[in-house]
Amino acid sequence: MPRPRKDLFPGALEMMVLQILERQPLHGYALVQHIQRVSNDLLRVEEGSLYPALQRMLKQGWVKARWDVSSSGRRVRTYEITAAGSRHLQREVSSFERMLEGIRLVISPVKS
Amino acid sequence: MNLLSRLSLRRRLDEDLAEEMRQHLEEKTRELVDGGMPYEEARFAARRAFGNLTLLEEQAREVWRWRIAEDLWADLRSGLRQLRRSPSFAAAAILTMALGIGANTAVFSVVRAVLLQPLPFAEPDRLVSVQPVDVRGGPHPTSLDYPTFFDFRDARVFERLVSYRDDERTISIGGVGTSVPAQIVSWDLFQLLGVPLALGRPFLASEEQSGTRVVILSHEAWTSYFGADRSLVGRMIDVDEQPHIVVGVAPAGFHFPLRSRRVALWTTLARDADSEITTPITEQRGARMLDAIGRLPRGKSVERARMELDAVAARLARAYPNSNESLSATSVRPEIERVVGESRRPMLLLWGAVIVVLLAACANIAGMLLARTGDRERELSIRLSIGGSRWRVIRQLLVENLVLAVIGCAAGIAVAALAIRALLPLVAEQLPRASTVGLDAPAVLFATALALATTLLVSVPPAVRIGRFAFGESLHGAARTATDPHDRFRGALVVAQVAAGLVLLSGATLFGAGLAHLVERDLGFEHEGLLSFEVSLPGTRYDTDRQVLFVGQLVERLRAAPGITAAAGALPPPLAGDVMSVSFQIEGMPVTPGRRPASDMAIVTPGYFAAIGAPVIAGREFTGDDDARHPRVVVVNEAFAARFFPGGGAIGKRIESGARAKADVGREGPVWREIVGIVGNVRQAPLGGPPEPIYYLPFNQMPWSPPTMIVRTTGEPLAREHDVRHAVASLDAHVPVHDVNTFERRLATGVAAPRFVVLVMGCFAAIALLLTATGLYGILAYAVLRRTREIGVRMALGATHGAIAAMVVRRALLLVTVGLVLGVLGATAAGLAIRGIVSDLPVSGPAALIAAAVVVVITAAAAACVPASRAAAVEPMSALRAD
Repeated sequence: MPRPRKDLFPGALEMMVLQILERQPLHGYALVQHIQRVSNDLLRVEEGSLYPALQRMLKQGWVKARWDVSSSGRRVRTYEITAAGSRHLQREVSSFERMLEGIRLVISPVKS
Repeated sequence: MNLLSRLSLRRRLDEDLAEEMRQHLEEKTRELVDGGMPYEEARFAARRAFGNLTLLEEQAREVWRWRIAEDLWADLRSGLRQLRRSPSFAAAAILTMALGIGANTAVFSVVRAVLLQPLPFAEPDRLVSVQPVDVRGGPHPTSLDYPTFFDFRDARVFERLVSYRDDERTISIGGVGTSVPAQIVSWDLFQLLGVPLALGRPFLASEEQSGTRVVILSHEAWTSYFGADRSLVGRMIDVDEQPHIVVGVAPAGFHFPLRSRRVALWTTLARDADSEITTPITEQRGARMLDAIGRLPRGKSVERARMELDAVAARLARAYPNSNESLSATSVRPEIERVVGESRRPMLLLWGAVIVVLLAACANIAGMLLARTGDRERELSIRLSIGGSRWRVIRQLLVENLVLAVIGCAAGIAVAALAIRALLPLVAEQLPRASTVGLDAPAVLFATALALATTLLVSVPPAVRIGRFAFGESLHGAARTATDPHDRFRGALVVAQVAAGLVLLSGATLFGAGLAHLVERDLGFEHEGLLSFEVSLPGTRYDTDRQVLFVGQLVERLRAAPGITAAAGALPPPLAGDVMSVSFQIEGMPVTPGRRPASDMAIVTPGYFAAIGAPVIAGREFTGDDDARHPRVVVVNEAFAARFFPGGGAIGKRIESGARAKADVGREGPVWREIVGIVGNVRQAPLGGPPEPIYYLPFNQMPWSPPTMIVRTTGEPLAREHDVRHAVASLDAHVPVHDVNTFERRLATGVAAPRFVVLVMGCFAAIALLLTATGLYGILAYAVLRRTREIGVRMALGATHGAIAAMVVRRALLLVTVGLVLGVLGATAAGLAIRGIVSDLPVSGPAALIAAAVVVVITAAAAACVPASRAAAVEPMSALRAD
């Protein structure tokens, strides 16, 4: 499975997408822009790589999709997080935080 | 979710995805254009930012894919495409597979129904067939008499022991008599078999008493004669013009004994206990006419039961030396063996033969596939070198072969259905349980399993070949001129086919010769134009004297009938296969009763030998004067005279038969009969070995029961059936005429079973020959094609056309020779097996083998001809210029 960038760990893209969708339903292009904006363009994902990730999440039942008409009047496919997706996100986030905490403890200078 | 909705859902998902991605690109482009970028540039920039569109779309789709199945589907389609591309290969492979699988499935169905299916009774493993063994000469199982049966039954070796014997009864419905097959059984037949009746109750022990008149009807008889009337049970019906109480109706589909003869009603042995004549047969020791079936107690082995019963038989032999001395041993064997009987070995032989056919077919298909892999070497090489995995290529090959197998299997099942439909009726009467043969689920399963196994087997050589493939070489084309190492393997396959062909062909030849011998053997009488039929005289109205009178009058009427030139009666008639073996003693050569010689016996009316066209060699045949008031006489056949009077001079000697007429039963001392004539050997059995000794007694002095009537007709015998019925009806309208038959038909029925084996073996041999020919042709033609360039070089260097053709023929010769050597070994083994089944073969094994080898060689030569001439016709220049 190709990842957007080598520095994104597996599942990171999914986590970010779910995190964003938790706040509001969005369509694909908006999601990409959102990711780039909130990460201050630090995370530059290949835009198209979002779609396989979305399909995986659809299959898992973490998100659902429907066709909408956007504010600009075009047909867009809007993604929405599901209850299962929220639960998954919580699990992922907490395990991610634990991992981050672990890493921080290991790499931070020892306080004596 | 089923496949269809799954597929439509998939299509929608794919469409959504494609549209969504397009929208994304458009939105991005628009945004860039809004930012001041020229449209074309914006489009490319959007694409760049998006990444590899096709790949990503593919990846996104893959999320939903049902991967392996879809790969298989793709392989399947490609397999079908490949087959369509080479229709002749596909046709040859499918045909070969259809023949191999079809033949095997057909034989499997028959073997399963006839040999392997358990008996349709409760706990069939505990059912055994019980027979006494006649220890005189070569010990052989024989029939039981009632007193011995009762002694066996009382010995309690078995949980239950039941006797049964064939009988013919006349039931009257609305005053019209119909003769039906019946059985006389001991009371607990249904209890022993563990079969509950459909209606009513089984017999009671007390119903074996003389004078009891009870019947149980078969479901078929109850339906067809009594309209399935449920109130029939407990009511009276007329059987042999006597009222009988119907106590029960057997369940539908119940048959006992399991033979082609369908019994319509069962009565208890009360009938045999009636003393119409002086001693009822239930009290006659030595009146051997019974078969017996026993149920072993749980846990008792067949062997143990036999030992216990042997002890009983030995005790009886001491107690009743006159009747039982020669019956001092017994035979107890599983009932299924009796049912399957003589069909077992021919069946197993056919099964063996059909497996050889399948192996030959496998060898053939494997050869074809190898050649095809060779042809596709370049294609496969390219696939491998652009990164296709070997496993994937092999898998595709497997799938292609599976496609072949599926089609071949379906065609094979059709072949099997056709074969069963066409061939089984030929032996339906001889083959036990033939009516249960059919293409059922297990047969289809068997065919499928066989197809799968065949596919795997034939896929191994090409798979190994791909696994080993040094594909660079074949891309360079080097392998196309070098000798192919796989030629040797293909050669081995052809050798196997030649060997298989020889084995089957020599087997078929042996059988065919045996059959021809049986059919052409002199019958000893002129069977064309003879018609036979049976009459049933009800015992109530026809005592012995009236029976004699009736038969005499009937013969007169028949002789007077139009189109009939002669009439007589015989019990049993020729070619019927029924034998009555009765002991006798020769005057002046006294032996104890237990050691008397025995021979076949028949009872015939005056003029019998003239009527059937059997020659009187010496003396005279019976006349109307040979009746109860005149001296007792006997006529013997040549074989009898030769065996018992080897010095000649049988005429005028006297013998006493163990069979006694009712009039002679009370008589003191021996009833001597003078031999007044010697007649030619008339065949009693439709098949069999050399002529057996037989002696004939005149019906008028031995009126046991009405004989089978035989008339000689002018023209078509069956056309006279009406006249025959008319003649009988003119004497007594209530006497049924049945089993009207020609001797042509008796003969045909008799040889049906061996003819069937010959036919099937012949089919197998023909298939094997065809396979051998195509296999050999295939390998030679392929070799010539591959070596075109080499042949061109040889020719350019001065090889003659003849030398080139000889090169091809040499290879064929080598393969055929090796195949023949192996085939001779196999055929010798097969020949031994066949001799175990058909003794008395007129052809020696080697003769059949040589004949078969000649046919194989001719076939091989024909197959080699075309490739050889094609090789010789190679144009050196064009061959060298090619590629």
